[in-house]
Amino acid sequence: MTLAAMLLLVAIGFCAGGFGALAGVGGGIIVTPLLAIYFGLPMHQAIGVTLLCVIATSTATSSMYVERHVTDVRLGMTLELATTVGALIAALVAHHINRRTLAVLFACFLLYSAGSMIKKAWDSRNEKREEIIPDYTPQNYPMGMAASLIAGGFSGLLGIGGGPIKVPVMLLFMKVPLRVAAATSNFMIGVTAATSAYVYWGRGDVRVDIAAPLVAGVFAGSLLGARISPKIRPVYILMLLVTIAGWLAAQMIYKLFAGGFQ
Amino acid sequence: MSRQDVAADRVLSRTLKLGAYTAFVLILAGLALHHFAAWGGKVAAAGLLVLLATPALRIIVACIQFLHERDFKYALVSFGVLAIVALAYVLGLHT
Repeated sequence: MTLAAMLLLVAIGFCAGGFGALAGVGGGIIVTPLLAIYFGLPMHQAIGVTLLCVIATSTATSSMYVERHVTDVRLGMTLELATTVGALIAALVAHHINRRTLAVLFACFLLYSAGSMIKKAWDSRNEKREEIIPDYTPQNYPMGMAASLIAGGFSGLLGIGGGPIKVPVMLLFMKVPLRVAAATSNFMIGVTAATSAYVYWGRGDVRVDIAAPLVAGVFAGSLLGARISPKIRPVYILMLLVTIAGWLAAQMIYKLFAGGFQ
Repeated sequence: MSRQDVAADRVLSRTLKLGAYTAFVLILAGLALHHFAAWGGKVAAAGLLVLLATPALRIIVACIQFLHERDFKYALVSFGVLAIVALAYVLGLHT
């Protein structure tokens, strides 16, 4: 690999990690399509590499959230029983799904994520930061477990964290405060992604030459992003991410119609 | 309120930080060395393995803490998660 390609991967990782920490959205959704469209990586390899970026974001940022005591470790651990099972099954199945189908699924997920980010940006217009977390008891565990199973499945299949699925379910059905839901989801993502990453790694779908510079960038980006996040309004970052996600979805759909992702 | 106590959170946070920084340093060193020596790639791969091992380590730490707090229900839950993750590791090597 040339030095220029390596530096480009570091830069992509830096943006993904930084956006992830600033907007509270996993940067993984932009890494997979970039690798698949512009680096010509097969979908399975692009997903394998992205899983490592997802683990890096989760590990770097959740250490800070845990320190601030907003993570519900017990709730996270319980839901992980479901996410890891979903991730394991999906990672085993993903190998037998052809690249075009994976690309179609991914494009759909990109559009869904863009939609959920628009909603998040809209909701945060005049939202006050919850300084004190209200007392709560998680409700409706069956619903939470079912959603976690599905989120884990998407994680293993598409190399994403699954935050856009878990956070709303924890918020609406389990009655967990938003900050706790976001931090707990972020905490779970590392373990969920690691479960599928083991399968991808064992199968040889994680390319070290591509993953290493990306992960280095993700670490630097998420550490910096978490540091400056209190000073930046997430709305602008979310709108930027929506634009990028929309553009990448359009590129993937165009490439699919042109007969790509074979 | 089902959140953990402060000391337990600190141990967990330190575990995550230790894993993250070790992986980060190894990967950076590997990338830099790669341009001078072929084994630089192996150092970077070791960094990625540390990154992969950190979530598993995190579950083990949480499990030990729950045992320490005599919260056997959640110790069992952690152990269950660990078992699934271990199964993924084993199946990954054999597919």
